Amino acid sequence: MTALLELAVDDKRYGTRTILRGFHLRLEVGEVVSLIGASGCGKSSLLSIAAGLDGQYRGSVRLRGGAIRGTHAEIGLIFQEPRLFPWLTVEQNVVFGADGAPDDGRIAALLEEVGLAGYGKSLPKQLSGGQAQRVAIARGLYTQPRVLLLDEPFSAVDAFTRMRLQDLLARVAEQHRLSVLLVTHDIDEALYLSDRIVLMDGVPGPARAEFEVDHARPRERAVLATSKLKPAILDSLHAVHAI
Amino acid sequence: MQRRSLLQLAASGLALSALPLSSRAANLEELRLDYAYYSPTSLVLRHFGWLEEAFKAEGTRVKWVLSAGSNRALEYLNANSIDIGSSAGLAALLAKANGTPIRTPYIYSRPEWTALVVPKNSPIRTLADLKGKKVAATKGTDPYLFLLRSLQSVGLRRNDIEHVALQHADGRAALEQGRVDAWAGLDPHMAAAELEGGARLLYRNVSFNTYGFLNVREDFLVKYPQQTARVIAAYEKARLWTRANPSEAAKILASEAKVSLPVALLQVKLRSDFSNPQPSNEHLKALQLAAPILREEALVKPGTDLNAAIAGLIDTRFAQQLIARA
Amino acid sequence: MKPHTIDLPLPASAPAPRKPWRLPLGLLLPLLAVAALEFGVRSGLVPANLMPAPSEIATTLAWLAQNGLPGHLASSCLRVAAGFAIGASLALVLGAAVALNHRTERLLDPSFQALRAIPSLAWVPLLLLWFGIDETPKLILIAIGAFFPVYMGVVSGIRGVDRKLLEVGQLYRLSPLALARRVLLPAALPAVLTGLRNGLSLAWMFMVAAELIAASQGLGYLLSDGRESSRADIMLAAIVLLALLGKFSDTAMGALEARLLSWRDSYANRSAR
Repeated sequence: MTALLELAVDDKRYGTRTILRGFHLRLEVGEVVSLIGASGCGKSSLLSIAAGLDGQYRGSVRLRGGAIRGTHAEIGLIFQEPRLFPWLTVEQNVVFGADGAPDDGRIAALLEEVGLAGYGKSLPKQLSGGQAQRVAIARGLYTQPRVLLLDEPFSAVDAFTRMRLQDLLARVAEQHRLSVLLVTHDIDEALYLSDRIVLMDGVPGPARAEFEVDHARPRERAVLATSKLKPAILDSLHAVHAI
Repeated sequence: MQRRSLLQLAASGLALSALPLSSRAANLEELRLDYAYYSPTSLVLRHFGWLEEAFKAEGTRVKWVLSAGSNRALEYLNANSIDIGSSAGLAALLAKANGTPIRTPYIYSRPEWTALVVPKNSPIRTLADLKGKKVAATKGTDPYLFLLRSLQSVGLRRNDIEHVALQHADGRAALEQGRVDAWAGLDPHMAAAELEGGARLLYRNVSFNTYGFLNVREDFLVKYPQQTARVIAAYEKARLWTRANPSEAAKILASEAKVSLPVALLQVKLRSDFSNPQPSNEHLKALQLAAPILREEALVKPGTDLNAAIAGLIDTRFAQQLIARA
Repeated sequence: MKPHTIDLPLPASAPAPRKPWRLPLGLLLPLLAVAALEFGVRSGLVPANLMPAPSEIATTLAWLAQNGLPGHLASSCLRVAAGFAIGASLALVLGAAVALNHRTERLLDPSFQALRAIPSLAWVPLLLLWFGIDETPKLILIAIGAFFPVYMGVVSGIRGVDRKLLEVGQLYRLSPLALARRVLLPAALPAVLTGLRNGLSLAWMFMVAAELIAASQGLGYLLSDGRESSRADIMLAAIVLLALLGKFSDTAMGALEARLLSWRDSYANRSAR
């Protein structure tokens, strides 16, 4: 069966340093996959390639089997920082990526969904970090992508906000039937959100390990805290010298 | 009785001894005065170094500053940048009436140094033709005031022409480049324009020229009367030498002002009169005749007493002992 | 699970309440200075031929108002407006061209930087020589004055745009033109407006320089007029008017800037949250 998204990076370098070599990743419809690994192992580069922002590599990105080059309407990306345009209101930021007249109903629904009902006319300078990231998520969803890529999206907020945003992502992914590829440093986050956790090695090559997360949804953090997966992941991270 | 006369004696003794003491106390460190191309005797004086000689014994430095026009000389006097400056009479009156603290103890020349100049093939033939035209003139100088008085003689005001404010040399350049229709000229630039540029003198009037005034700052005159007298004596030396050697004086002018010898000769020999340096009724009358234009063209503040200014400006007594009969 | 709504207070999206009237503290220093000067001249401490009393300057201003002042004001303001318009629009176009295109930058920028190094007033004799004494050299001089601050503002503003914002534009497949219009220019606006404001105040300065050359009307002409006639009161009246006009136009620019940049999260706007 053809995966929704298939990444195959044969060779990716920065100058003389090889970052990725012979790395493959499949993303099925409705799947949530987390990428974990040491700093500098190429996770962000992989996302850039998948999003179509980086074309300097040997390999391919396939959507439903068809090769694509450059950015694609069905693949969205959420950055580590909110990256809102400060001169646009929340509403204007949300519709930024789309052509045509803004769909006010859809904007309102999305804002409500991310917990920012009524904030449409506010300016980014009036928002907290967590609120801004919510707007970024709403913006990412507005264009109705099928795949959502997220690059450490919650690393810049405090622990409590992070947990709330994780809840939001889980909800949104289910609601919109998204396939999600998430890069994170937070093992608990990965366990909470993912169907599959892929561990990347610091040494360029294929994925070092993969973990299936079998826990039923909706996930409960208290249960995950005692999961046997976590020590296994920690061991693997130790083995690749990530920790 | 005895004590009182003793005190009187002591007082007069002190007063006597105070006299030479006060003149010694007023020791001048630096004498600052101007030289200008419109004052040939100043150039002669500077050339021969007679002032430096006269003041060497006292150890006074002599500093010479070039004045590009009466307006500049009077500005420097007002700002106390020079102690003695050369300007036209009417210009000095304008400055005095507006508050510049100067007095004139000496007339350095009686020139016919200004006239209205037009280019060689100008269609302008009479003063009335100037209406609506562009005329270059240096504000605050004799040529400018000459222009106003000339216009007045045919019923025109300064608003009837377009006045372009340029310093004397730039005014000549503007005339020759065709940028202005007429120019209120000043020697030596005017002489040069005639002889070298073929310019024509549209209107001359010797009585509208108001003499070369040697102005001294009032506070300098009060504090250093001896030194002022010495400067006037030096100027006398230059004046007599110029009268005896006009061609040589013209050579000095030519080399300083960078004009040709014929131009310099025109200014010195034909258009300057060095015979009467003592300020007198003649000069008072000339200014009284000229003064109304200052009020009519609003160059002085409304309500200024011009006669008082004239009286306060011209000092007919200071130089009387110093001027040789020649 | 029902989505949570965050219970944070809504930020103020309605217009901010009117600021209460405060004592115009900025007037204090000028008023004190005027009072001190008036006293100084009246009592003879300050020589009146060097510094006329403020009351006298006021009288002169009143007299000028009846005798040609509107003409002088119109002359000067028109010159500034025209020169600034020319210089600023050229700078906006050329600055954008240089900042957006590498080849244009390598071609033009070195020359502009060299020209910028020429001390402004050194242009005066050259312009006089080439263009004479009419309006042309004056407008060119003013335009030169306005050009460089605006040019620098545009170039540095565009160059300084955060790469992260540009990436968002790339992600949404904006064409180069749309990217420039929707991301670069708004992001560069603060620097551009600063450049425009500086350019305007330089335009005033260059206007005075231009009028000192050879003018028959204007505030610079008045200034020179006062100088040549030993009328310090006219000189100061001209200076007072120049200060007022300059301040007025700068305040207007500042108000425009504040309006266009109200979205900025900066030290200047900190009370607006």
